[in-house]
Amino acid sequence: MNDVCFIIPVYNEAAVIAKVIEQLTTDFNWVICINDGSTDNSAGEIRKTRALLINHPTNLGQGAALQTGIDFALQNPAIKYFVTFDADGQHQLDDARSMLDYLKHNPVDIVLGSRFKGHAVKLGKVRRLILKLAVYYSNQTTGMKLTDAHNGLRVFNRRVAESLHISQPGMAHASEIIAKISRHGYRYAELPNTITYSAYTKRKGQPLINAINILYDLISQKVLER
Amino acid sequence: MKYIQALLVVGLLAILFRLLIQPQRAQIKAEKLGLAIVFFAVGIVGVIMPDSLTAVAHRLGVGRGADLLLYLVTMATIFGFVSNSLRSREEQSHLITLSRKVALLEANADERNKDFLSRHKQ
Repeated sequence: MNDVCFIIPVYNEAAVIAKVIEQLTTDFNWVICINDGSTDNSAGEIRKTRALLINHPTNLGQGAALQTGIDFALQNPAIKYFVTFDADGQHQLDDARSMLDYLKHNPVDIVLGSRFKGHAVKLGKVRRLILKLAVYYSNQTTGMKLTDAHNGLRVFNRRVAESLHISQPGMAHASEIIAKISRHGYRYAELPNTITYSAYTKRKGQPLINAINILYDLISQKVLER
Repeated sequence: MKYIQALLVVGLLAILFRLLIQPQRAQIKAEKLGLAIVFFAVGIVGVIMPDSLTAVAHRLGVGRGADLLLYLVTMATIFGFVSNSLRSREEQSHLITLSRKVALLEANADERNKDFLSRHKQ
């Protein structure tokens, strides 16, 4: 499929990235990995695969990496669909496929994934609570009705890709994307996802205290934008 | 005049001198310079005539001149901190934009990515 591209921000995932990429490159031509200043051999592992590689000079954050990937992908006018996908193996290709399918056949601009509509395998209680609080806060401030506000699996069209302009370099980008969906009036849909928390992803995953950092980032952005 | 007064006045004048003699590269804006000169003038007056500080303090309902000075310095410090924080964020934002541009330029020049990019040359 030449009109779809996967955008994968990568930070120190040398252990699993090749496997994650290989499941995608079997059926998809364009997998774009953004090595966000990894200190392990992520870049080397990516080069072994068919995926395209972009290197950030230093670690800038997942939001910055996603935007770099989107900017790069937009240079190819044949790309109609963009899929953001996590590098650690949390996401399922089947979910991405269903979301892509949905986007192609329904009047929507962006399809978001929800682990709460689907399955969150081995999701810890505290993390679940924080995620639920996050989506409550998100719904309150954007007026949208989502069930998962912090899911890295998204599928969107060119219209969204061209106007997204993610400015939050760090993890607050997820909330920024949702706020922009609301602000720009993109048509959206939420589909069920399976997110698997292995011992690996749990160890590497965000510390929960990051929720406070994300909130701080969002508030600072609001102050600076005034 | 007490020793400390002489020391402080010399110190303040030295800093002011340093501010006024600016190398071309590090030009400070006129408004900020004006404000700095006023600040130093007030400082020097306060050092030479410490009773003036006490008088102002009493007017404002503060017990001692030194207390008033403490309050002012504390506020200035907090303001400076917040100011720096915001400026730092803005600089970080510029740095990130620059870094991303570099990353894109490199990626566009990478042989490995040729196929993807050549599509637009129809």
